[in-house]
Amino acid sequence: MKTAMPRSLFLLVAVCLLAVLTGCDKPAATAAHQRLVIFSQCNNAEPYRAAQNQRFGELFGRHPELKFVIYDGQADAAKQISQIENAILQKPDLLIVAPFERNALSDVMGRAMAAGIPTICLERDIVQPNFTTFISSDNVAIGRLAGQFMVDLLTKKNGEARGNLVEITGMSGVQGAADRHRGAFEVLAKYPGIKVVHQATANWMQAEAMPRMEEALAANPRIDLVYAHNDPMAYGAYLVAKEKGRAKDIAFIGVDGLANEGAKYVAEGILAATFEYPLCVDKAVEIGIKLLEDKTFKPQPQYLLESRAITHP
Amino acid sequence: MKECLRRHRDLVQSLAVLGLIFSLAAVCSPRDWRTGGPLFLQADNLTNLLRVTTPVAVVALGMTLVILTGGIDLSVGSTLGLAAVVAALALAKWHWGGAAAIATAITVGGLVGLLNGALVALLRVPPFIITLASMIGIRGLARSWCNNENIGLRTAGDAAVRFVDTWSQKPFMIGLFAGLALLVAALLRGTVFGRYVRALGDNPTAAVYAGLPIKRVQLAVYGLTGLLAGLAGVLTAARTNTGNPNDGIAAELDVIAVVVMGGTALTGGRGGIAGTVIGALIVGILANILGLRNVDANSQLMLKAGIIVLAVVLQQRRAAR
Repeated sequence: MKTAMPRSLFLLVAVCLLAVLTGCDKPAATAAHQRLVIFSQCNNAEPYRAAQNQRFGELFGRHPELKFVIYDGQADAAKQISQIENAILQKPDLLIVAPFERNALSDVMGRAMAAGIPTICLERDIVQPNFTTFISSDNVAIGRLAGQFMVDLLTKKNGEARGNLVEITGMSGVQGAADRHRGAFEVLAKYPGIKVVHQATANWMQAEAMPRMEEALAANPRIDLVYAHNDPMAYGAYLVAKEKGRAKDIAFIGVDGLANEGAKYVAEGILAATFEYPLCVDKAVEIGIKLLEDKTFKPQPQYLLESRAITHP
Repeated sequence: MKECLRRHRDLVQSLAVLGLIFSLAAVCSPRDWRTGGPLFLQADNLTNLLRVTTPVAVVALGMTLVILTGGIDLSVGSTLGLAAVVAALALAKWHWGGAAAIATAITVGGLVGLLNGALVALLRVPPFIITLASMIGIRGLARSWCNNENIGLRTAGDAAVRFVDTWSQKPFMIGLFAGLALLVAALLRGTVFGRYVRALGDNPTAAVYAGLPIKRVQLAVYGLTGLLAGLAGVLTAARTNTGNPNDGIAAELDVIAVVVMGGTALTGGRGGIAGTVIGALIVGILANILGLRNVDANSQLMLKAGIIVLAVVLQQRRAAR
């Protein structure tokens, strides 16, 4: 009895493991005629990235000769590095990486290149050109677009470029947040009448944006504009202002413009505008397929995709 | 004698679980489509696995001692982040040499640990609360010191590049862990200090009456854990070529999971370094095989939860004997 108990528990561990290891995933073996495409996504748990994953699945799904696999880096640079190491072991025919961090992923992508794997770097640059091609949009340009939109909006509302601004920023230390801030303030800084009355980080999360907006509302009797570095945070800020009966006085501006998120909020009149951050997926698949089919194809070192404003008609 | 026998039996059981999980991983591993062999058993993969596990495993060595005294240290993840930032700042912004930057980062980790130890010993507030507070505060300190920015090392000059290239090498990282494990095991098994650590967790009241230097022991175990967390931060900075103030978020939980999987009881007094090394290997193998099979991240979390609970249930069975 005394020793039988743990032994049965070992058995339980084993059974549990076996079930999960075999049940949760299709066998990873690739059929002989199939070629392997691995996409190392830095974090599945963000709407923008979920939209990317879905679009990749759609587009590669049209190619039965390809087996397409997504690795989820879970917003952790070390984890993503280790996953790309796993990917290198599997010798894929094409590797696509959306790096979590520009310094951290540079080295391991170099090792993938050294192993002869064509590597596409997606929408976040790395510190060394360890990729076959780099496909991105420009967050500073997006920030500038947003900045100009805010200036125009305030001019229309107050007769001149004057007003109180709340900025809700993305995660500190992430290039996208820094660039979206920098671009907007390159424009805003020219107008001394525009004052930043409150600035807070909400780490890209709607849930974190809500208490930050509560604080901003409590501290500032007059707010004209909320500039959030993504749509979920802008939406969170809106919800809080609405609850306090102040949403009508404030224009909310977001970034990303996903069809089922930011673009929808704009159509519903919740956001004044959002600025599309292209998924970059269509281009990546186009270039990726060319790389797979034509060994002599030399892509450009970089493809820059344009953003556009989505505004209320 | 009885205690010694029991410890051996625990260890044999942990080894059995390790062997079981290793074999399962080998069996379940995806195959190399060229050679047909399991990817899991490739030397490159096994060393990848060991290196990935090293930072958490290094901190777990210190955490084992803290838990043996009946304490807990929730601040190790934040300390790891702080040390990574200090190392990167020293190399990239202050242009120090590698040795000075590394020593400073590890020392800063040690100071955080000593502060934890001092507060635990002097204020007699539960370590859970003290280290929860420092987990929060130290994260803020890390972010403010680097002005919320990631500090890149790959393009920060010769000393920085030499540092990342040396310290992220597999033989270096794995060797460092092996050496430290032996050292801490010797400290725990072969010294009076080691006996005090166990005695304190085993029966705190008796330790008081026996006149053990309780405060000094607490200072030492938290200080050591801080040093090791600092070292893990340096390793992480090397590995990721970056000083990121958000490094090590939730790492304290991974560390505690490793220690618990290794059979060290959270109530103190029981367990040891050999178990923790086995725990680290189990956690490492699991993470690796789940990664190789590309099991969905959310399923991985649920699986991890199940395994932690099972490990603790196992422990209670043992303790009841």
